[in-house]
Amino acid sequence: MKKALAVLIALFVIGQVYARIDEQFVPGDSLELANHPFSVKDSLPYALVAGGSKGIGYAIAEALASRHYNLILIARGYDSLVAAKNKLEALYPIHVEILSYDLSKEESAREIAGWCTARNIRLKILCNVAGLGGEKDYLTLSLDSLRYMVNLNLESCMAMSLLLLPLLEKNAPSYILNVASMAAFAPIPSKNMYSATKAAVLYFSYSLRFQLKEKKISVSCLAPGPVFTKPSIKETTKKSLGWFGMQMAVPPKKVGEKAVKKTLKKKMIIVPGTLSNICSTVIRVLPNRWAAAIYSGLGD
Amino acid sequence: MNPSFNVDATLPYALVTGGSKGIGYAIAVSLARRHYNLILVARDYSALSAAKENLEATYPVCVEIMSYDLGREESAGEISQWCIDRDIKIKMLCNAVGLGGEKDVLSLPLNSLRHMVNLNIDSCMAMTLLLLPLLEKNAPSYILNVSSLAGFAPIPSKNIYSATKAAVMYFSYALRFQLAKKNISVSCLAPGPVFTTPSIELVTKKKMGWFGMQMAVSPGEVGEIAVRKTLEKQLIIVPGMLAKISAVIIRTLPKRWMVSIYSALG
Repeated sequence: MKKALAVLIALFVIGQVYARIDEQFVPGDSLELANHPFSVKDSLPYALVAGGSKGIGYAIAEALASRHYNLILIARGYDSLVAAKNKLEALYPIHVEILSYDLSKEESAREIAGWCTARNIRLKILCNVAGLGGEKDYLTLSLDSLRYMVNLNLESCMAMSLLLLPLLEKNAPSYILNVASMAAFAPIPSKNMYSATKAAVLYFSYSLRFQLKEKKISVSCLAPGPVFTKPSIKETTKKSLGWFGMQMAVPPKKVGEKAVKKTLKKKMIIVPGTLSNICSTVIRVLPNRWAAAIYSGLGD
Repeated sequence: MNPSFNVDATLPYALVTGGSKGIGYAIAVSLARRHYNLILVARDYSALSAAKENLEATYPVCVEIMSYDLGREESAGEISQWCIDRDIKIKMLCNAVGLGGEKDVLSLPLNSLRHMVNLNIDSCMAMTLLLLPLLEKNAPSYILNVSSLAGFAPIPSKNIYSATKAAVMYFSYALRFQLAKKNISVSCLAPGPVFTTPSIELVTKKKMGWFGMQMAVSPGEVGEIAVRKTLEKQLIIVPGMLAKISAVIIRTLPKRWMVSIYSALG
């Protein structure tokens, strides 16, 4: 245990140095197509982002837009979808389609896939970002909320991937990006179900990558550390991880940019931020029991 | 209700989901041997009756049987309500129900995959949450979740099975810490191949050959080890020496390597 802590601290110091270097981040800037005629937009390939109206999903959408992908954004809130569409279409020379669906509902994935198939959308990238998590879940949330979490985090990802597979296959080489979390690398007692569902997404991505290799569909899995997409996440991180957590946090925009860049490079596991990268390596090497014990000590 | 209910009503109870056949039944036998009254939950009523007859003929326990499909949302609520209404002295909950097969994603329809998620993850999560008040009341008590060796690393051909079993394992790890103060011990069984149906034997022989056959442990032995180690409050239970060694290797190797190895095996 002491040895492991010593290693952790050593890696942390190295990480700090690298984190400084990593901060010199230049966002993707590509507005040169803005003056092209409208028809150019029609020939662009499409990317579908589930949960694309806010947070990491929106950041991924923006990173895709800057690379000239037309977008299909799915989310529950219609207003935030419209806002996202207006913003993205003003900034980038692309079409943005918006579909308002609750992805935790069984029929949603089928209806969305039907919509895409009927229009023979040139789908090149599927991003399963929709997900739900919180500071605490099991023993705090109701059973219905926990079931909702399983449906949204795991089943929607599985259903969307399977039902859009024919379109992705047709437009191969294509890409699937599933969003898990660093919580998927080891069990976190206070975020019990969140961590379990994200582990399932991680396993699903690993397996799917091998299953789809011959079909020229590359599967990636994003596993970010803390990302302050809401003020509450910032507070929780500060409370449970302190200064270290604040150092580890990566801005949403950077997460989106990294995620898209690495997905297009066909990387399997994507952990944005050097410090998060080092942490995730440590977490993955430690026995699950130790990691759970450490998390348990931090959480209560 | 069973007329002989009062005979042994002072004995503690264990509830076994998926307890009519396979590993669940083996766990039930080991519990009966230790004089636990049983509540068996499964879909198939005739298999349940047969299990009840066998167990009550051999051991001095009474066995309640409840026919439910645990893949359905309302099942867990109704089962737990039944137990709470009767103030059953539940000392142990065994979530043994589960579904798996040789192949899933890209072979099975979406509905079957959803059923697998509901049965493997949701039912385990729901039964545990809803029976927690009774388990707390009868503490020290035990929860045994059945995962699999497939929960240690992703298996491409058994994609969702492996993913759901990983989720069950994470759930068990996390729950153990959450319930430590309540004197409820959580264990997770992760067996290698267990020949509970002839098809499993065939698949194991085909894919893993001699090695797989050596690794296999009989259902009776799995049940016995599972119950003994659960009562000893062990967290991860892997029956069989060869399976244990394999588990250590699987857990130590990077997941990416393991996926490649599994993928090569078919």
